[in-house]
Amino acid sequence: MTALSLRASAAEPRTRGPRGLVWVMLRVHQSALLFWLMLVTVAAGGLLWAYGPGADAAWAEYSEAGCGTTTSGFDCDMYGTAFQRYDNIVGVSSGLLTLVPLLTAAWAASALIGRELENGTARLAWTQSVSPARWLAAKLAVPAALLTAGMLTLTLLHRLMWSAGTELHEAWAVRAWDDSAIFLTNGTTATAHALLGLAVGALVGLLLPRALPALAVASVTTLAIAGALVELRPHLWPTVTVTSTDDVPAPAAVVRDGALTSDGSRIPLPDCLGEPGCLTKHDITGYYADYHPTSHFWPLHLVETGIVLAAASVAVGAAFWLLRRRTGGAV
Amino acid sequence: MTDIAIAAQGLGRRFGRRGRRALDRCEFVLPAGRVCALVGPNGAGKSTLLSLAAGLLRPSEGRVTVLGTTPAGARERLAYVAQDKPLHPHLTVAATLRLGRELNPGRWDESVARRIVTDADLDMDAKIRTLSGGQRTQVALALALAKRPELLLLDEPMADLDPLARHRITGLLMADAAEHGTTIVMSSHVVAELEGSCDHLLLLGAGRVRLAGPLDDLLAAHRLVTGPAQDSLDPHTVVESRTTGRQLTALIRPAGPVPASWQTAEPTLEELVLGHLRGPDAPALSLTESEEAAA
Repeated sequence: MTALSLRASAAEPRTRGPRGLVWVMLRVHQSALLFWLMLVTVAAGGLLWAYGPGADAAWAEYSEAGCGTTTSGFDCDMYGTAFQRYDNIVGVSSGLLTLVPLLTAAWAASALIGRELENGTARLAWTQSVSPARWLAAKLAVPAALLTAGMLTLTLLHRLMWSAGTELHEAWAVRAWDDSAIFLTNGTTATAHALLGLAVGALVGLLLPRALPALAVASVTTLAIAGALVELRPHLWPTVTVTSTDDVPAPAAVVRDGALTSDGSRIPLPDCLGEPGCLTKHDITGYYADYHPTSHFWPLHLVETGIVLAAASVAVGAAFWLLRRRTGGAV
Repeated sequence: MTDIAIAAQGLGRRFGRRGRRALDRCEFVLPAGRVCALVGPNGAGKSTLLSLAAGLLRPSEGRVTVLGTTPAGARERLAYVAQDKPLHPHLTVAATLRLGRELNPGRWDESVARRIVTDADLDMDAKIRTLSGGQRTQVALALALAKRPELLLLDEPMADLDPLARHRITGLLMADAAEHGTTIVMSSHVVAELEGSCDHLLLLGAGRVRLAGPLDDLLAAHRLVTGPAQDSLDPHTVVESRTTGRQLTALIRPAGPVPASWQTAEPTLEELVLGHLRGPDAPALSLTESEEAAA
């Protein structure tokens, strides 16, 4: 046996780098790999620029205009060009990150799975010495590893940019921590969403083994999931309530707010603009706001990451089950 | 080493819950080392049968045993070339062969693949999408043969080859069968392609096995007879008969001596197949190896 394998390896040309299914995955999906590397490079470049020169230029502009001092002038109500540029780059970079789940789902449903089933190249792999289950495992594992590595890198860079720029964002009162794109890209959830996109795309590709319909359905499904989670997000962790007697409190990350009556019940804010005695008429004694303090950042992230990864596991399980049912349960 | 390449027992495949039956209660045994022609009209179930044997589809009913195990268990020892010869269009010929090498560790014979591709005058750096249908077929066959399979399943392998390539590929397949004892199953609806290269026949019609067995025995079990139209053909089994004026031509399975007044001849493969295609109500006939040995 040893002699046999020695001879076999001697006969084959020696090659470096990945072998077997991993080589096939990287070679067949080379353009997707290059696209991913390009996207990560562009987003990382944008975030690093915003972290360094972008933020510095925005600060320089801010202090030159004399803002943030007692003599702050009219100019400080409008963004300067340097801050505008900084803000645009931050928006584009975190926007790219939030697009990744959608792009991944569209690609996985069409190029990764749907097209291979449609044009028969999946069957080509299955009649080499690769079982359908191993084929699907490689189809999921290789992109999952690359997605995770890229997304975690970008998340770390985004956190770096965000924590360094906190004062800048506060000075201009833009981009709170709970903004959808900022929240997502500052923690583990962005990576989890990208993996869910991969799993949903693969499942849809197997369900609709034709590239274009699969692409459309996977994109719509991923958008729907992302939309539903944005709605669900504030309710994933218990809120903190703050009350006030003179005006509606306005912390960041408010989930709901309104007025309080003398018996302590919550009512929506009545339309009392310029109407004397209106508050007394409605028996309003104070105001409340349910909100998430910044300390809720990680609990919210971890709960959402857990939900998203659980959904991804269900999709992966369903994909294997479907493939097994179709091809005769060969492992 | 098992001596049975494919055995089907009550094998059936339906598409959709109540859909059409592509295969219906198929029973046959293909001994190892044979070159089997799988023939039948369009839609007879040839491709479905090959897909089932290659482990790409799950049977709806019954089972198929391949090389003594399940098709999935025999995956490493069988090769399959689908009718549309799927290959990744954006890979080069060289990368396609590398794919075969990477996916068949320990089995791959690079020299076999290289020889087929070189004989076909293919540029190793050409992208698959730039190749003609016939050239792609030869790359697909190179992938299949370099795997050194014990069982080679080919769905319409000759359909888009020019006569020269067809001759060369047939020679290659026959040499492989002779040298390594490879069992080959080739489907085709052009019977003339298979004449002279096959020693076993499997004829499908409407998802059922119509004829199965060693080709020589099947031919010997039939007679093409010509005689006066008014004569009765009893007690022989008539597969198909045609009357031209006062003369009757029929393909029969003799149940005893044929009257001397009739001209008889052993049918060719083509006549045997055409007779059965024209006479879809003729009873099925399966000859197994043991009967051959007894005879």
